[in-house]
Amino acid sequence: MTTLLQAPDRADRAAAPQTPAAGHVQVRGLGHTYDAAGRVTRALDGIELDIAPGRFVVIVGTSGCGKSSLLMMMTGLVSPSEGSITCGGMPMMAPDPDRVGVVFQEASLYPWLTAQQNVEFPLSLRKLPKAERAARARERLALVGLQGFEDRYPHELSGGMKQRVSIARGLVQDPPVLMLDEPFAALDEQTRITMGDELLRIWERTGKTVIFVTHSLTEAAYLADEIIVMSARPGRIVDRIEVDLPRPRTYAMMSTPRFAALRERIWGHIRNQAGE
Amino acid sequence: MSAAPPIPSHAGRRARGLLPWALVLAVLCVAWQGALVTGLMAPELLPPLGEVVTTAVELLTRPSVMAHAGTTLAEVAVAFVIAVPLGLLLGIAIAESRYWSAVLKPVIFLVFSIPKTIFLPMFILAFGINFAQKVGFGVFSTIFIVLISAFSALDSVKAEHLRVARIYGATPRQVAWRVYLPSMAPVLLEAVRLAMMFNLTGILLAEMYAARSGLGQLVSNWGENFMLRELLAGILIISTAAILFNEAVRWLETRCEHWRA
Repeated sequence: MTTLLQAPDRADRAAAPQTPAAGHVQVRGLGHTYDAAGRVTRALDGIELDIAPGRFVVIVGTSGCGKSSLLMMMTGLVSPSEGSITCGGMPMMAPDPDRVGVVFQEASLYPWLTAQQNVEFPLSLRKLPKAERAARARERLALVGLQGFEDRYPHELSGGMKQRVSIARGLVQDPPVLMLDEPFAALDEQTRITMGDELLRIWERTGKTVIFVTHSLTEAAYLADEIIVMSARPGRIVDRIEVDLPRPRTYAMMSTPRFAALRERIWGHIRNQAGE
Repeated sequence: MSAAPPIPSHAGRRARGLLPWALVLAVLCVAWQGALVTGLMAPELLPPLGEVVTTAVELLTRPSVMAHAGTTLAEVAVAFVIAVPLGLLLGIAIAESRYWSAVLKPVIFLVFSIPKTIFLPMFILAFGINFAQKVGFGVFSTIFIVLISAFSALDSVKAEHLRVARIYGATPRQVAWRVYLPSMAPVLLEAVRLAMMFNLTGILLAEMYAARSGLGQLVSNWGENFMLRELLAGILIISTAAILFNEAVRWLETRCEHWRA
């Protein structure tokens, strides 16, 4: 396994001192059962995860396997019925934007706010001085390549640009962990690949821990250090794959036998699930 | 904004927006005068447009007419100020409670479909012929559309947008002001517009049916006494006022909805 790039110099970020373990995410004995109209459903079972700081981990599985639910639990938005989740050694009992930034699917930007205001939104909830808010949001928009688009409204942006704004918003409080829930699912194939490259570039520059949920095998193999493959309901982890493709990843790698073997291995699990 | 596509200028858009209006007005004037010239309408039934406009101007300066207008305005304003906030608060309270939604929503939709006019005699029996009866009937005519608008306003709040607010640690107050209100604003402004239409209709009708003062009573009298110049001038004045209110709120709507595609 090739070691990843180190996080860049963080001396300029005195506001939120981050210990080396800040980006460490652990899930222990997580299970989830819910009761909808009298029908009890086991959604997740025996989930164990140990994600080292700075890693890029992709959770992949068919739709309905509970991967998005698992991610929502890791963000603190939903409580699991069993087990524990910690981030930076502290339990995630509720959403904490200082520890975890979240990127959702396309429709999550506020259409009545400009790109700049959308990125500022998390900061505006916490009475930060206006000038600092604006400066941080502008810097994040520049990081995702949207300099000059600050005053655009979401309906004036393409799907890919909207997701860049979402990523900038997720990073605006400089959390050590970024969680993404099928962020590129609504995009066309070309934009999807470009956005994958963009995300890798941003990740390498910021050194965040990234947890990325997708149902795309290609996306999983292309982006990840480690792929977590989940089974159909009840969602269990059926495989953990260390991706040994070198970085930086390139489009050409997708046609190598190693890449094909990776996809084959994931597909094997998913096909088995479908056959059951 | 270097790569911004050109946006048509405000003045240009306004001019294009006014053009159909001017056309409709012109057609109306031509038809009016044409009907008189060709003898299609007798001048006793349709006085010349110029005379009607002059009468309208004269009516607006006549103190007795202004007193009637004052009565109607007061009734309309009070009914509006009761019906809209009450309807919105009740509507939101009902929609937010699963139990009351299940019980009351179907009832409200059923009652909404009944023409409110037929209840007017009951309001007279209950209140007598007075200010309270007019306001009461105005509120009754208006509140159902406000309730239904409140339901759809809440429906227009996206779960995804609420989730984002919670992820970034918004307090319930912040969620209300920063997510609910902007999401609901377009529907709420539309509700204000519709509410005023229902409200005006209800109150004018109540005045025409039985009243001692008010524009509705005045218009009704002019009609009964075959005073067509006054009648048409009254219609012109009330129509203009209603249109002006409607357009003012619509202008606010477009300002609030600038972010919509």
